[in-house]
Amino acid sequence: MLQFYEPEKDYGTPASTATETVTLTIDGVDVTVPAGTSVMRAAAEAGIKVPKLCATDSLEAFGSCRVCLVEIEGVKGYPASCTTPVSEGMTVRTQSDYLGDLRRNVMELYISDHPLDCLTCPTNGDCELQDTAGELGLREVRYGYEGANHLAVEKDTSNPYFTFDPSKCIVCSRCVRACEEVQGTFALTIDGRGFESKVSAGQAQSFMDSECVSCGACVDACPTATLAENSIIEAGIPEHSVVTTCAYCGVGCAFRAELRGNTVVRMTPYKDGKANEGHACVKGRFAFGYATHKDRITEPMIRDSIDDPWKVVSWEEAIAHTAARFRAIQDQHGRNSIGAISSSRCTNEEVYLIQKLVRSGFGNNNVDTCARVCHSPTGYGLKTTLGESAGTQTFASVAKADVIIVMGSNPTEAHPVFGSRLKKRLREGAKLIVIDPRGIELVDSPHIQANHHLAVNPGSNVAILNALAHVIVTEGLQDEAFIRARCDNGQLEKWMAFIRDPRHSPEQNEADTGVPAAQVRAAARLYAEAGNGAIYYGLGVTEHSQGSTAVMGIANLAMLTGNLGREGVGVNPLRGQNNVQGSCDMGSFPHELPGYRHLSDSTTRRMFEREWNVRLDPEPGMRIPNMFDAAVDGDFKGLYCQGEDVAQSDPNTQHIEAALSSLECLVVQDIFLNETAKYAHVFLPGASFLEKNGTFTNAERRISPVRRVMPPLSGKEDWEVTVDLANAMGCPMDYHHPSQVMDEIARLTPTFHGVSYDKLDAQGSIQWPCNEAAPEGTPTMHVDQFVRGEGYFALTEYVATDERANRRFPMLLTTGRILSQYNVGAQTRRTDNTAWHPEDVLEIHPHDAEERGIADGDWVGITSRVGDTVLHAQISSRVKPGVVYTTFHHPVSGANVITTDNSDWATNCPEYKVTAVEVAKVSQPSAWQARQKQFDRRQHQLLEEATDA
Amino acid sequence: MAPKQIDHLIKMANQIALNTGAHTDIADSARRTGEHLRKFWTPAMREQLGEYCASGGEGLEPVVEQVLREMSP
Ligand code: SF4
Ligand code: SF4
Ligand code: SF4
Ligand code: FES
Repeated sequence: MLQFYEPEKDYGTPASTATETVTLTIDGVDVTVPAGTSVMRAAAEAGIKVPKLCATDSLEAFGSCRVCLVEIEGVKGYPASCTTPVSEGMTVRTQSDYLGDLRRNVMELYISDHPLDCLTCPTNGDCELQDTAGELGLREVRYGYEGANHLAVEKDTSNPYFTFDPSKCIVCSRCVRACEEVQGTFALTIDGRGFESKVSAGQAQSFMDSECVSCGACVDACPTATLAENSIIEAGIPEHSVVTTCAYCGVGCAFRAELRGNTVVRMTPYKDGKANEGHACVKGRFAFGYATHKDRITEPMIRDSIDDPWKVVSWEEAIAHTAARFRAIQDQHGRNSIGAISSSRCTNEEVYLIQKLVRSGFGNNNVDTCARVCHSPTGYGLKTTLGESAGTQTFASVAKADVIIVMGSNPTEAHPVFGSRLKKRLREGAKLIVIDPRGIELVDSPHIQANHHLAVNPGSNVAILNALAHVIVTEGLQDEAFIRARCDNGQLEKWMAFIRDPRHSPEQNEADTGVPAAQVRAAARLYAEAGNGAIYYGLGVTEHSQGSTAVMGIANLAMLTGNLGREGVGVNPLRGQNNVQGSCDMGSFPHELPGYRHLSDSTTRRMFEREWNVRLDPEPGMRIPNMFDAAVDGDFKGLYCQGEDVAQSDPNTQHIEAALSSLECLVVQDIFLNETAKYAHVFLPGASFLEKNGTFTNAERRISPVRRVMPPLSGKEDWEVTVDLANAMGCPMDYHHPSQVMDEIARLTPTFHGVSYDKLDAQGSIQWPCNEAAPEGTPTMHVDQFVRGEGYFALTEYVATDERANRRFPMLLTTGRILSQYNVGAQTRRTDNTAWHPEDVLEIHPHDAEERGIADGDWVGITSRVGDTVLHAQISSRVKPGVVYTTFHHPVSGANVITTDNSDWATNCPEYKVTAVEVAKVSQPSAWQARQKQFDRRQHQLLEEATDA
Repeated sequence: MAPKQIDHLIKMANQIALNTGAHTDIADSARRTGEHLRKFWTPAMREQLGEYCASGGEGLEPVVEQVLREMSP
C-alpha cells in the first residue's frame, strides 16, 4: 500500500446515493451514473476532467467560480457543470474554443489578484489554482497586477498547526462550507461583498480565538496555499504516502500518512475510509508529533529496585532477564502470582499474543485489558440481552436516524468525527434527546438544539432508563409485533410486570434522577414514536456501579421499540480508545477466549489447546482490580503491562501506587516513561502506531489495517517483543508477520473466519462478523434475529450507589474528556494540542462557587473519602448545582486520587463518574501532588543517570 | 491504608446479589449470584470469601452466605 504521492482523485461533487441510473453523452463518450449526479462528477467518472475551483467532492456544489462551464445541447448559455444534474440523453461538451476563452477570462481575474510566487510557495506542486491555470493554458493577464489587490494582508499564525495567508485567497468559500457542512462548527464566514469579500474566523478574530476546533477540514478543502499545514510549509509537499488508521479514539479514522523519506509531514484523512469518509479531528490529523518526541525511550532498561537508576541493556538481555524473573516468581509464589495487562491502544494482533502468552506461557488466565475500566459493562450488557458484545450499526447509519438519544457521551469532544456526522443529521431535522448531568455541546450549539436535555443526577442512569421504559409500556407505545416475534416471551412477561410497577414511574423516580417527570414522559414518547430511533452512549453509562445494568436498560429500550436490525436505529457504544472493541474481541478478559467464548466451554478450549499445544486452565483469572488487591495482600508479584498507564488511569491512585510498589517484577512496555513505568523494574521500549503493522477494530466492529510507515525507533514492533518473551519463557511462538497472527485468529474464531490481510487490502476494512455467512462482513447486526436467538429483557432493578453525597461530602464529582487531549495525555501532551488544554480544571456551578467563596481561577481542594487533590476552578453553568466536573488528561491533576474503588457489580468497571466530594478554596497543591512531583523528579533523574551511563 | 482484598470481595459479592434481585426473588438471585461467582471470580477469590463466610461472614448479604455455603466443598 506504499504509493507515490498524488492527491486523492477529486470528483468535484459528492456521489449521489440514488439507485436509478441515467445515461448521457459527454464529449462523445456514453456515461451511466446514478440520477442526481452532477455533470462534473459524471465527466470525472468517465475520466474527463472539467476545470474547477469552487467545487470539491466533500462539499455540495456552490457554483461561484464559473471555470467549470460546459455546453449542453438544447440548453441556452453555458451552465456550470458542478451545479447541473445529469438527465437522460443529455449531450455535453466540455471543451471548445469559446469555453476556453470564457474560462481563461475568469482565471485572469483570479490571477491578477494573486501573488505570483509559485516557485517559493509552500504548496507549489499541490495547488489547484496553479493546476487550473496550467490546464486552461493561461498565458497573459490583461488586467495587469497593479490594480487594487490583497497582497499585503497579514498572515494569521495563531493556530499551531496551520497558517492562514489571506493574500492567496480566491474566496471560493470551500473553507467556509467545509466548516459548516463537514465539521459543523460554523467558525468561518465570508465577510463583505465583491472585491471586499474575505474569509473571516469568528467575529473577525484569529483562528485560535474563534470557535474553530482545529479539525483541519478547511485546510483540506482549500484549493490554494491560503490555508496550509505548518508541517508542509516547513518541510515541503510529501513524496509518498501509506494508508493507515488513527491510533486515538474509537472512531478509527482512515488516514493517508504522507511522508518525505521516513518523516511524516501530513496526515490526510482518507476519503475511502468508511469510518470517516475524508474527515478527521485535531488529534488524528495534527497531533502525530509525539511519535518522534525527544522523550521517546528507544532502548530496553532494567533495574532491581525502583530506587535504583536504570541500566540500559540489549534486547536479548532484557528479554532473558524478564523471563527468568517471572519464572522465579512463579517458582516461589505459585503459578497464579503473575499476570498481564494489555491496552486498547495496541493492535488486535498484539493483544491476541498477550493473552496467548498468559494462558499458554504463564499457565494461568490472569490477563485483562484497559477495557475493564471503560466498556466492560457493554460487553456484559449487550451479550446478555442481544447476544453479542458489540455495537449494532455503522457510523453512517446515523444519517437515517429520526430520533437520537445521546446518553453519557460527549461525541463532539470524545468522538469528534462521529460527532460531525451526528450534527449533520441533526441539522437535517432529526430530533435529539441528551441524557447527561452536564450540558454538553450538543445540548445547545450553532444550528443544533436538543429537544430534551434530561440532566440526570450522577448515578441515576438506571432509574431514568427504567422510567423511560415504564412510560413506553404503560402508555402502550411498544412495538408489540417486534417484541413478540423476536424476544424471549416468558422473560418478556416477567420484565413487563417488573417495569409496569409504579416504583419505576418518572414521578416516583424524580427524587433520584432530578429530572422533572413531564420531561421524561415527553422524551419517552418522542423516542418510542420515532420512525428510526438510535441510541448512542459512552462511558457516562458504563463507568458506574450499575454500568452493566444501564447497558441492559438501553438494549431493553431498543428492543421494546423495535429499533434494532436495520439502518438508522440500534444500540451504539461509542468506544473510548482506538481498539477497545478489538481488544475485547481478542480474548483479553480473564474469563473468556477470543470471540467472547467462556473458558468453561470445553469445545472451544480444546480447539485452542490443540492449536497452542498446551492444557488451559478452565477457571477465570484475575481482573485488574483483583490483581491490585492481591498485590497489596502479597499474593500477586509479577506484572507485564503493555501500553497501559494504570498508575494514572485507574481509580484510587494511592491504592494502585501501593499495589505497584509491592510487585517484585513490573515490566512496562511503552513509548514513554509513563506514570506506571516509574514503578517498573523492566522497561521495554514500544513502537508508535506509525512504526508497526497490525489492525485496529473501531466502535462499528470495523477492522482496519495499521501499516508501518516508518521503521520502529527501538528496532522492534511490539508484537515481536511479546513473541521473544514467550519464546524465552518456553512458550513457542513462530510468527514473522502480524498477518500470520490474524490467520490464527481467523482459524479459531467463528466471527473472524473470513478475515485476512489480503481481504483487508482488497476491501479497505471489514466489519465483523465476517465468515461464510457474511463473506464481506456485517454492517448491521441482528437483522432477522438476535445473535443470542431471542432477545432477552433483563430485569434492571435500580440499586443506588454507595457513593452518595452527605454532609461531609455534599457534592458529586463526575469526569469526562475534551477534544484536544487523549486519555492520560501521554501522546497529546507531547504535541501542540496543549495550546487548547494546558491543565485540567474543576468546573463548578456559579451558585456552589459563590457559597464557598470561590472565584474563577482560584485553587480549589477537592476531597473525597479516599483522597484529595487541588485544581484551578472554572465557574460554569454547564454543570448543575451540586455537581462538579473535571478531566483527567494530566498526571499532576490527580483526578484519580479522589475516585474510589467502587465499581460495576458485574464487571468491576470503576465508578469514575460518581464521587462524593467537598470543594474548598485552598492556597497550595495537595500533599499527594507534592509527593507526586518529588517522585516524578526522582524517577526522571534515575532515567537520566541511565541514559548517561 | 490500602483496603484489603477481603473488604472488596465482601462488597462485590453483596453488589452482585443486590443487582440480581436479592430483595425481590431470593432463589433466582442465589442462582445468578452463584453463576456469576463461578463465571467471573478466580477460585482463590471464591475460597477466600468462603472462608470468611464460614468464620462468621459479618456484613454479607444473606443470599451471598447461602451461595457460599452451597459452594463450599
Ligand atoms: S479547522 Fe475545522 S473548525 Fe476550524 S475553521 Fe477549519 S473547518 Fe472550521
Ligand atoms: S481560504 Fe482557501 S478555501 Fe477559503 S476561500 Fe480562500 S482559497 Fe477558498
Ligand atoms: S481521534 Fe478519533 S475522530 Fe479524531 S482522527 Fe482519530 S479516530 Fe478520527
Ligand atoms: S467549480 Fe463549478 S462554479 Fe466553481
